[in-house]
Amino acid sequence: MASKRSRIPLIIAIIVVIAVIAAGLGYYYYTSKLSPTPTITPTTPKIEKVVIGIVQPLTGNYAIFGQEAVNAAKLVVDIINNELGGVRSLGGAKLDIVVEDAGTSPESARLAAEKLISQYHVPIIYGAYISRFTLAMGTVTEQNKVILVTDALVDDLSRQGWMYFFRVAPQASSHGVSAVDFVLDEAKAHNVTIRTAVIINEDSIFGTTVSNGAHLELAKKGVEVLAHISYPYDITDMSPIVDQIKRLNPDIIIAIPYFSDGVLFAKTAKAAGLNPVFIAGAGACGFTDPDSIKAAGDAVLYYTNTYSYNPAKPTDWNQKLVKEFERRYGKMPTEAAGEMFYSLFTIYEALEKAGQMFPDDPLNPDHLRQAFLSLDLSESNSIAAQLYPTGRIKFAPNGDNLYAGTAVLQVQLINGTLTPVVVWPQPQAGVQAIFPRPGT
Amino acid sequence: MTPLDLLVAVVQQVVDGVFLGLFYAIVASGLALIFGVMDIINFAHGDLIMISAYFTWLLSMNLNLDPLLSMLLTLPILFLIGLGIQKGLINPVLGKEPLIQIAVTVGLGFVLQNIALGYFKAEPKGYPAPLFSGGFNLGPFVIYESKLVSAMVSLAVLILLSRFLAKTKLGLAMRAVTDDRASAMLMGINVGRVYLLTFAIGMVLIGVAAGLWMEMGQVTPYLGTSFSLVSWVAVALAGLGSIQGLIISAIIIGVAQSLGSLISPSIQMAVVYLIFFFILWFKPRGLFARR
Amino acid sequence: MELFNREILLALAIFEILVLGLGFALSGNSYLMLLAAQVLLFAVFVATWNIIGGLTGQLDLASSAYMALGGITTSLLWMRLGVPPLLGVFAGGAVAMGLAVLIGLPTFRFGVKEVWYALMTASLVVILNNLFRYTMGPWDFYLPSKWGLIYLRPRTYFELFLIIDVVLVIVILVNVYISNSKIGYYLRSIREDELASESIGIDTRSYKLRALAIYSFITGAAGFLQIVIYSSFSYRLFDTSLAISIAIMGIIGGLGSISGSIASAVIFRTLGEYLRSSLGGVFPGLDLLLYGIMLIIVGVLKPEGLAGLFNQVRRWLGK
Repeated sequence: MASKRSRIPLIIAIIVVIAVIAAGLGYYYYTSKLSPTPTITPTTPKIEKVVIGIVQPLTGNYAIFGQEAVNAAKLVVDIINNELGGVRSLGGAKLDIVVEDAGTSPESARLAAEKLISQYHVPIIYGAYISRFTLAMGTVTEQNKVILVTDALVDDLSRQGWMYFFRVAPQASSHGVSAVDFVLDEAKAHNVTIRTAVIINEDSIFGTTVSNGAHLELAKKGVEVLAHISYPYDITDMSPIVDQIKRLNPDIIIAIPYFSDGVLFAKTAKAAGLNPVFIAGAGACGFTDPDSIKAAGDAVLYYTNTYSYNPAKPTDWNQKLVKEFERRYGKMPTEAAGEMFYSLFTIYEALEKAGQMFPDDPLNPDHLRQAFLSLDLSESNSIAAQLYPTGRIKFAPNGDNLYAGTAVLQVQLINGTLTPVVVWPQPQAGVQAIFPRPGT
Repeated sequence: MTPLDLLVAVVQQVVDGVFLGLFYAIVASGLALIFGVMDIINFAHGDLIMISAYFTWLLSMNLNLDPLLSMLLTLPILFLIGLGIQKGLINPVLGKEPLIQIAVTVGLGFVLQNIALGYFKAEPKGYPAPLFSGGFNLGPFVIYESKLVSAMVSLAVLILLSRFLAKTKLGLAMRAVTDDRASAMLMGINVGRVYLLTFAIGMVLIGVAAGLWMEMGQVTPYLGTSFSLVSWVAVALAGLGSIQGLIISAIIIGVAQSLGSLISPSIQMAVVYLIFFFILWFKPRGLFARR
Repeated sequence: MELFNREILLALAIFEILVLGLGFALSGNSYLMLLAAQVLLFAVFVATWNIIGGLTGQLDLASSAYMALGGITTSLLWMRLGVPPLLGVFAGGAVAMGLAVLIGLPTFRFGVKEVWYALMTASLVVILNNLFRYTMGPWDFYLPSKWGLIYLRPRTYFELFLIIDVVLVIVILVNVYISNSKIGYYLRSIREDELASESIGIDTRSYKLRALAIYSFITGAAGFLQIVIYSSFSYRLFDTSLAISIAIMGIIGGLGSISGSIASAVIFRTLGEYLRSSLGGVFPGLDLLLYGIMLIIVGVLKPEGLAGLFNQVRRWLGK
């Protein structure tokens, strides 16, 4: 007993000393932070490089998107640094990216943003693909006056009253609207009347927002929505829903799936013999991407989906990027990569503008913001617009692109292989939309 | 919706529910066997199905075989893998605190999920043209070929299993150990060997479930979560000791889920778990328990 | 037996000095400070879980349900009725406790135990998740942009850290009190052998309910802090894997050991973040993979958990 007591005071003393040292270090560190915030660049002349923070989901359900986006970023940065000579108005400053995993919850996305800001002092962050992660990140970036350029599509994000927020990609509801407009356009062109529709969507915020956009557009154009069915994206059995749709017998179906459920729907619909005038997807997930085609086979033949990016757009720079992406990574760039392409090039344009407009302090958040707002990009004056479906990029005060729009891809049999091809607004060379579905 | 429509919808769901239930029965059978005989709480059951499903998929894609056929090829290999897992991972935690077993098997589940994620990435993988991908109409009802086939295969395998447990020496030994381990040992049954073979057979059942699933759908690294809880609900509902009980319980769950989806697809699983609650309250040993 | 003896108060004091020291040290770096706050809150939940899991031996996997229910109640009271969260958390705790007891009464009465109790509580989380998804929709709801102690929403992560620290101290004291009191004696007996306890006349159902009530109340009240960290809530807050993680941390720490629970929560949560941030981009899922392997190793090789390790160290110190 006596020997036990005798050690403890010594240990207490050691612990107290460590605690005091730690507190002292902390205090020193804390007070050193009170000097000008690192995001304000010193007024010394040359900026060697501009570091852009990228937060993407690299683990969890959405890892596919994140991985693709990061690959696209590396490609774009290479081109900007080596072919275009960096940001010319900043003396040829190179772009550098730091990638953080958004993790699997808003908590980790927020941590990722905090890390980028406090350790790398980035002036701009791109991410985080998933809307609710981006909302958590946005509170941090807005508080710290860091520009957030997002690839997350839910409408709500641009309704938060944020000042340092920009989104080049078309928001969720425009995907829903595009899908409906495409179907109705084709119906008109082929003299087919569409009277009734059924909407089905996976029930996340994204799926719901896209479907609401579609629903409103259908109502506006006088089509009766017989049912609007929400289901959990990890659903394992689609047959009750397919059976219900079969009973309702609508002219068209607008479907907003995630991935597995998309494949499941297509296969179940085929088995049940469900064949309305048309089945159109919206929201860029499922049906027409290479992996879904691989998994579903000809069950997805003639299905369409809307995309924030058109890989077949015939402009010079777009073709170049697509080829290079395919060469490096062995697959065609899709949604996540495409959004990165034009968003990162838009950032590049904004940096160039900032350097021209504010040569003394280009990376100041308010200066950067003004640079973004002053952009008016078209295919003839920028690379970014050449990569964008509508060919025009200009920001509204709330940060959304005034000229937002999607492309529509359809799965067709080309030379015996199931291939996704662009059919709207301008079909790609040698191709036209197949409407209505054969057999109806 | 007219009353006739409603009747058609309900009957369709009941039919689909029976098929689904038979599938759930085979999914849960591996767990029921292992838990019943060895008293091991395995929270990675669904993840084992997931890994087996990927295995089936690999064989299907590389050999261009329908999943049902490649499933047959996976079974002997899964048997051997089962022997390995039992020896290496399960034996050490036999008889330990249930909480420890849960911890270790949850760990196993994480490991399996992330190996799958790293190797196969997150995109769903499916076989594009399975043999039974069509459907036919029976009056106003739709019968999906894949579901019908999987239900029939499940039933066949489960009948075989039931026979095996009732008639063979090993089967009887397994049932004896399930009923009363101490007495079984006193009777000279080599419990260690029984455990080894039980787990291996359990893996084979898991392989069958995985193969049937690949015929109907596709696999992602996170498939396991969908199946783990449902398997446990089926085992709880049935109680331990009879395959017939498990089949009936699984069918109840399948029908409940299908009818639940008529209310709303979003709460169909909640219906299943609510049933679970009430079963545990009023019949904690399960509906068909022997012990 | 003294409820709060000198040794325990001394240990607590040392612990607090370390925690506060850490807080001051990190206050300059917002990333590390936020991480520290998140880790400490996680420790709060694990330490609270110890009451039902460690002290009473019940495998409760519903902590995220109570957390979410309590947190959402508190938030809604603030958002709809203007009740400041400093008061609202008590209502949140009460609602969580209410549900726990409502379900616990028949559960314990009908003798649902062990793995079945675990599965039942896990299902509870899924049921509530589906229910809230159905009624609330997929939307995220944001906390009002008001800051201050009365809203339990401080402007800096450092202050948040301090608030969480206060809660942690309370939880530790509650654990110690229960552990050293008559209730703790009965709970331990129930944990060791419920059947035997019944036969010597202990009203096991009543004591289990009490432990459940205390644990669910605190978890429900602290749930609001989790929402503060997320700054939003949705049906997703009802998360089975979070509840399972909390229980597992309690096991790895060593059932019944408050110091083990806190230590394992801090170590593994920090390690998880470290792996995610350094390796997450390189090899997706590697951090979770290593986490899983560690669980297996600890489970197989050292089931008494970290507490077992501490005891060995303490014995060495005593020599």
